[in-house]
Amino acid sequence: MFNRRDLTGWLFASPIVIGLLVFTVYPFFASLYLSFCDYDIFTSPNWIGWTNYTTLFTQDPLFWKSLKNVLFYTAFAVPLSIAFGVILALLLDANIRGLSVYRTLFFLPSIVPIVASSVLWMWLLNPRIGLVNTLLRLVGVEGPAWLNDPGWSKPSLIIMAVWGVGHFMIIYLAGLKDIPVTLYEAAMVDGASAWQRMRHVTLPMLTPVIFFNLVMGLIGAFQYFTQAFIMTAGGPLDSTLFYALNLFYQAFRYLKMGYASAMAWVLFVIVVAITAAVFKSQGRWVHYGR
Amino acid sequence: MQITAAAAATVFVAWLFLGYTPPERRTYAGREKVVFWHMWTSNWADVINRIVDRYNKSQDRYEVVPLIVTGGSLKTLIATAGGDPPDCMAQWEMVIPAWAERGAITPLDSLMEPEEWVDLKARLYPAVRKIGTYRDHFYGLSTGMNIWAMYYRPSHFIEADLDPNHFPKTLDELDKIAEELYCYDDQGRIRRIGFMANQLRHWIAIFGGSLYDYQSDRLTIMNPRNVAALTWMASYGEKYGFEQVLEFQAGLPSTFAANWPFITGAYSIVLDGQWRVEQLRQYAPDLDYETAPVPTPKGGKPLAGWSNGNFMIIPKEAKNKEGAMEFMRFWSGVDKPERAAEFYTWGGWLPIVPEIAEAPIYQEYLRKYPKFRTFVEMMASPNIQVTPPTPVQAFLNQRLFWAEDAACRGEWTPAGALEEMDKDLKRELTNMRLPAKPAG
Repeated sequence: MFNRRDLTGWLFASPIVIGLLVFTVYPFFASLYLSFCDYDIFTSPNWIGWTNYTTLFTQDPLFWKSLKNVLFYTAFAVPLSIAFGVILALLLDANIRGLSVYRTLFFLPSIVPIVASSVLWMWLLNPRIGLVNTLLRLVGVEGPAWLNDPGWSKPSLIIMAVWGVGHFMIIYLAGLKDIPVTLYEAAMVDGASAWQRMRHVTLPMLTPVIFFNLVMGLIGAFQYFTQAFIMTAGGPLDSTLFYALNLFYQAFRYLKMGYASAMAWVLFVIVVAITAAVFKSQGRWVHYGR
Repeated sequence: MQITAAAAATVFVAWLFLGYTPPERRTYAGREKVVFWHMWTSNWADVINRIVDRYNKSQDRYEVVPLIVTGGSLKTLIATAGGDPPDCMAQWEMVIPAWAERGAITPLDSLMEPEEWVDLKARLYPAVRKIGTYRDHFYGLSTGMNIWAMYYRPSHFIEADLDPNHFPKTLDELDKIAEELYCYDDQGRIRRIGFMANQLRHWIAIFGGSLYDYQSDRLTIMNPRNVAALTWMASYGEKYGFEQVLEFQAGLPSTFAANWPFITGAYSIVLDGQWRVEQLRQYAPDLDYETAPVPTPKGGKPLAGWSNGNFMIIPKEAKNKEGAMEFMRFWSGVDKPERAAEFYTWGGWLPIVPEIAEAPIYQEYLRKYPKFRTFVEMMASPNIQVTPPTPVQAFLNQRLFWAEDAACRGEWTPAGALEEMDKDLKRELTNMRLPAKPAG
C-alpha cells in the first residue's frame, strides 16, 4: 500500500499530522458531541439532546446581549478597518520622501502584542490622565470616560481596532502594486481624472484584496476576545461582554463546557452563514480583472 | 536510513511531549511524597517555603513538595480533570461549592476522626466554618482569611476640623464627615475622596441583610435590607457624581501594595482588608493612619462584613490524602494552635480558631501591630458573612458586581438591579443540570 518513500514522507510529516488530528480535528468533533451534553470537566458528559441550544435561544439574556455586542463591533470595526486600510494604502502608495518610514510607522501597531497594545490603550483612554482626553481638553472638549462608560466602551474598542489596520494596509499595498500600469496609462489617454482613475481603475482592481480582508476581518471580529478580556472583562454593565468572552466565562468560570460548546457551534454557524453570504455577493462587486 | 531517522525523530518528539517527566528534586528520598500546589510568589512564596520546611523537619514520614501554580484555578481544574491532581492545594474559597457539588474534592471530615471533627467544628470561627462547609460536609481548611474594616487618615480629619480621635460609630455620622473630607480643585473636580461606598457584599451584611438563608437553603437576593444597602450605596453615586468619582479613581495608580492611593492621600477613609496593615508597615512605615470597625446603620449589625480567604483542599483523585491532611493540620494549627500561631505572624494572617489569636506569640504580634487588632476582633463576630454556598457562586459574584454597578451608575433602581440579578440567578440555577451526587 505504502512504498518506502511514502512512509518516510509520512513519518516526517507525522508531528504535524498527529498534532492536527489530536489538537484540531478531535476537539472539533468532540465539541460538537459535547454541545449536546451537560459537561463540567469533573464528571463524564451527560447527553441532554438539544437542551443547551434551546436554553441559549430561549432562556439566556446574556447570550443575546453578547451576540448583539459582537454584531455591533463587527458592523463598525470591519468596514472602518477596510476604509482606513485602503485610504492609508493609497496614501502610502504615493511617491513621497520617507515613504518607508511612514509605512513602518503605520504597520507598527499591528506587530505590537495584543496585551501590550491593550494596556497602552487603557492608558490612552484613561478619563483623567489619558492622552486622548488631555488632547480633547486642549480644544475645550471634556472627553467621555471611554472604557468606563457603557455607551463608549464598544466605540473605544472599535477605535483601537482601526488603529491596528497596519496588516490590512500591507495587503492593500501589495494589491495596489499588482494593478497593471497599462490600465492607468489607458485611462489617462482617455482623459480620466485622478479621481476617476481611482474610482474606476484602482478600487475595482483592488476588490479581490478587499474581499479577502473582509472575509478575514469578519471571522476575526466575531472571535473578538483578548482586548475585551484584558481591558474591560466584559464591563461596564456587560457592554463589552462579547460572544467569545461570554463563551470563555461559561466554559472556564462557570464550568459549563457543554453549554460553551453549543455557543461555539452557534458562532460557527453564524460565521459560516455570513461568510457564505459574502462569497455569494462577490459576483456583484469583486473584479478579478478577467 | 531515512526511515530510521524519521522514525527516531517521531518517537523522540512523541516522548518529549507525552512521556518525559523532568527529574524531581527531593530532599527526603525515602519519605512519602505530598504534592502541594499553591499560588504565592515572591515574598509570599518564601513564607510558604518556610512553613513547608518546618513541616518536613518536624516528622519523618512525609515530604511536602511545594509547587507554585499561578493562573487561578484553571490549571488545577485541568490537572484534576486529567486525573493527576496534587495531593493538596491552596485555592480561593469560591472553588469549594462548585467543586464539592461535582464531587471533585474530598470532604475533610471523612479524613478526621469523628471527635476531631466535632471539636474542630465547635472551635472554628463562624466565617471559616461557613466557607469550608458545603451540604453538611467540610471541604476546605483556611490558612488565611480576609476581613475588611475602615482605614482612615487622622491628619485629614484635623484638616477638616474633625476630631481625629473619634471615628464615626453610625453610618449617618460617616455620611456627614465624608462630605467634609472631600476636596475639590479650582475646576470643581475631585482632588480627594472623603469616602466612597463600594463593595456591596460588605454592606449587605452591615445593613443586616443577607444573600442566602441557611435554613431553607435558598438565595435571598430581594431581602429588603439588601435593597436598603444598595440604595444607600447608590446615594453616594448620586451625591458625589459616579462619573466624577470614576474619573478621579481612573487617574490613580493601581491599588496594589506600595501604590495604594490611600498612602498618597487620595482617600481619607476606605474600606479595605487586613493585609494593608502589613503592606503599610513595609511600604509606608511612617504613615499616620488608624483602623476601625465599620460604622453601623440604623437596623444594621455591628462588627459585620463579608469575608473570604485561601483554603486548602484535597482533590478527590489525590494520591496521598492522609499526608495532605497531616500537612494541613500542621499549617493551620488546628491540632496545636500555639505552634502554628507563629506562621500566622509570618504571613500577617488572621487566625481561624480563637486559640491561635490567644497564643502568646500572636498576642505579641498584636501588641507590635495594634492596628491589626480591629480585624482579629471582627473574626469572632457572628455577623461576618460569606458568599452563599451555591454551586453558581462565580455567576453570583459576577451578577452582584453588575447590580452594584448598575445601581451606582443610576442606570437601574437599586431594587430593579437586585430584581434583575435575582432573575438571572434563578434562571442559572434552573438551567444547571447537575446530577445529584452523594458527598464523600
